[in-house]
Amino acid sequence: MTTLLALDFPPVSHVTEWPDIFFEGSPLAINKVVILMWVSVAIAFVFMWAAGRNFQMVPGRFQGVGESFIDFIRNGIIMQTIGKDGLGYTPFLGTLFVFIMICNAWGIIPALQMPVTARIALPALLSIMVWVIFNVVGVIKNGLFGYLKSVLFPPGVPWPLYILVTPIEFVSVFFVRPLSLAVRLFANMLAGHLLLVSFAVLTTAMFEFFPLAAILPGAVLIAMTLFEVLVIFLQAYIFTILAAVYIGGAIHPEH
Amino acid sequence: MRRFRLLFAGLAVVLLGLVAGVGTAHAVSEEELREECIHILEEGGTVDDCHEAPSPILPEANEVLWGGIAFLVLLLLLWKFGYPAMAKGLDDRAERIRSDLEAADTAKNEAEATRAEYEDQLRGAREEATRMRDDARAEMDDYKAQRRAEIDAELAEYRERAKAEADAAKGQALADVKAEVAALAIGAAEQVVQKSLDRDTNVALVESYIDSVDARG
Amino acid sequence: MLDLVTLAATEAGELEAGLTAIGRGIVYVGAAAGPGVGIGIVVGNAIQAMARQPESAGMVRTTMFLGIAFTEALALFGFVLAFIISG
Repeated sequence: MTTLLALDFPPVSHVTEWPDIFFEGSPLAINKVVILMWVSVAIAFVFMWAAGRNFQMVPGRFQGVGESFIDFIRNGIIMQTIGKDGLGYTPFLGTLFVFIMICNAWGIIPALQMPVTARIALPALLSIMVWVIFNVVGVIKNGLFGYLKSVLFPPGVPWPLYILVTPIEFVSVFFVRPLSLAVRLFANMLAGHLLLVSFAVLTTAMFEFFPLAAILPGAVLIAMTLFEVLVIFLQAYIFTILAAVYIGGAIHPEH
Repeated sequence: MRRFRLLFAGLAVVLLGLVAGVGTAHAVSEEELREECIHILEEGGTVDDCHEAPSPILPEANEVLWGGIAFLVLLLLLWKFGYPAMAKGLDDRAERIRSDLEAADTAKNEAEATRAEYEDQLRGAREEATRMRDDARAEMDDYKAQRRAEIDAELAEYRERAKAEADAAKGQALADVKAEVAALAIGAAEQVVQKSLDRDTNVALVESYIDSVDARG
Repeated sequence: MLDLVTLAATEAGELEAGLTAIGRGIVYVGAAAGPGVGIGIVVGNAIQAMARQPESAGMVRTTMFLGIAFTEALALFGFVLAFIISG
């Protein structure tokens, strides 16, 4: 508990750690974050299912959104990074995007206010998944030796520089990539959540002290929430497009 | 759609209530904390260990597990049920647009071909008409020339014949005149011979004879 | 909970906690300063490129977000590192 100007700010763990509800203490323990994950799965699936259930030539409301979503994944992400032969990754990247976005979005849903991705578990898991996929794809497409050669010895570099470049590339591709992918999403969402919590605490304290004084922090809280809307979308987009970039780099090593 | 919307709203409300009712994060009672601290101290920890909250950057096993299951389930569901319908619909639409465009193209080509054909036909007909007119004119000219030649020939023949007839008539007339003159001469000579008169009588005789011939002729 | 805090707040503990807080601050300042400048350069150049060639704005925007993401990651490492430093 940090005390600043006579205000009690809860420590970080207190705003992101949730007690177990079912199966307490076991590896299958269910807490609020796990429930939100499953609600995200349900929402994403029900939405896409409703969008594609009764496909019509002239799209309705659900179908229109679903179509523009798939179009966004195909033309906005895959065509710009992998190219035409990456279209087979549409289901994977689409799932990644929609799951991360809904999991992020819980951070600004009133009464729930907990981005699932502000826990390191989900970002770490997804980034490891992406790491495994792009390495496996690279090895399948180029062979183990060809893939390692394309990663560790990028063409167009004078050979003495390989002494410097190769270790850097090795660390960058095999360690920094997954780490930064996970940390980027996690830290962005955690930072956003902490900002919201801080301003919520501030607003409450101000309101208890003198209601009119709460106007300023309250306004900032609302502005921050709107900013979070942008972050929610942007982080899902960046995670997905980076996954696509890594997969594309493994498929076409010359780029 | 309406039923689906109601279902969805109900689901959302139930889950909202369930999750919101879970309470605040890390809401552990003070007594539990105290007991936990005593437990830690008994196991040889220091007082600081009691106050230590779990690090926020270490993953919890249960969240990793459930997150993995949730993501894989969603991936499978979307891959099997969500995506194919959408992709098929989109591809169908693209296919339909393409085929529509192709059909429009074909129709346009056909129309153009028909028009070209009509134009060809029209041009052919026009050419035919011109040709026929020219033929007719040529035929007419031929006929005219032929007729003219025929008429000319006929005329020439007529003229020839008329001339021949005239010549013949003339010859006949000359012959007649000659015969007449001879007869006259003979008659006059007879008269002269029979009377053998003086000259005045002879002249008078010839003149009276000629007069009688004139009166006769 | 308050008496627990009092119990834990021995003098040595307080000093350590204070130094930890300062260390976290230094880490975050160090980690955020560079990427702050870097993101500024990335976005500035992206805007310049978009203004010069508005027809390639889509491609520039995608690349700009990628550049921001790579640069921002450094600041976020610092953010996470600040949590890792525990007193």
